[in-house]
Amino acid sequence: MNVKKIWPIVVVMLACVPLGLLTDAEAWGEWDVHYYAEKLGFIPEGMKHFRSTLHPLLPDYSAPGTGSVTGYYISAVVGVVLIYFLWMMIGKILAKK
Amino acid sequence: MHIPDGYLSPATVATSYAVMIPLWAYGFRKLKSFLDEKTIPLLGSLSALSFLVMMFNIPVPGGTSGHAIGTALLAILFGPWVAFIAVSFVLLIQALVFGDGGISTWAVNAFDMAFIAAFAGYYAYNALKEKTKYAPFVAGWFSINVAALSDAVVLGIQPWLFSDATGKPLYFPFGPEVTIPAMMTAHLLIFGVIEGVFTQIVYTYLKKREVQT
Repeated sequence: MNVKKIWPIVVVMLACVPLGLLTDAEAWGEWDVHYYAEKLGFIPEGMKHFRSTLHPLLPDYSAPGTGSVTGYYISAVVGVVLIYFLWMMIGKILAKK
Repeated sequence: MHIPDGYLSPATVATSYAVMIPLWAYGFRKLKSFLDEKTIPLLGSLSALSFLVMMFNIPVPGGTSGHAIGTALLAILFGPWVAFIAVSFVLLIQALVFGDGGISTWAVNAFDMAFIAAFAGYYAYNALKEKTKYAPFVAGWFSINVAALSDAVVLGIQPWLFSDATGKPLYFPFGPEVTIPAMMTAHLLIFGVIEGVFTQIVYTYLKKREVQT
């Protein structure tokens, strides 16, 4: 297997990635807490306090201050680059041993 | 299948890390002997592909959506332990950078979408590879469905085990009689097929090029 054959697939998928925005439906069982307030009339205790404490850099694959397509592209590129470099680092660290 | 923070009780989270830490350690040891300058870029690019395929949200009837995970492809190409570690990393980055899936729930998500999915895909492929050229499709379909079942069970036991004195659920509120049919219908009919098609196409493409070069 040659890595040069994989990059074209990555590039095509990256180019098409805004197709993932065609639906704004949430995944089953990954709803925002508002869903439970509406559906059950209350938010389960354990879910409440966890929510506000975490601030990801690109929340829900969006970049603050940009449109949804731009934000999605930025997220896709950032994710691909981070994952690739993570592997490069793992390779470097393990190769030294 | 990316369970957010707050959905699972602390007891579930603790148990999941107790199970996953030895599995990660063992997987990492397996991975070490596999890594060289040829396999590292392959793993990097195919892990990136797994990340990307998870961004293609597909709507299903009932007002929800889902996506393929790409674990079966990695498991067929590199073996289940390597695939398990690779997708665990993808899930970690999704949790930390994008808030997709929780940090406390990373172990459970990695158990479902990385560990279970990798071994299911790997064994399905090996059982069928001599019998049909569509073994990668079946492996992909089977892989995501076993992962979805595991996810549905973990979510579904939360209200059984963790409710307050009045019976109000403290964490994820729907029981297995709701989670299993909801998750499995969508995965058996739709997301499993998408995972299968993705696995089949990319696998066939990579193998064809291999023979030519």
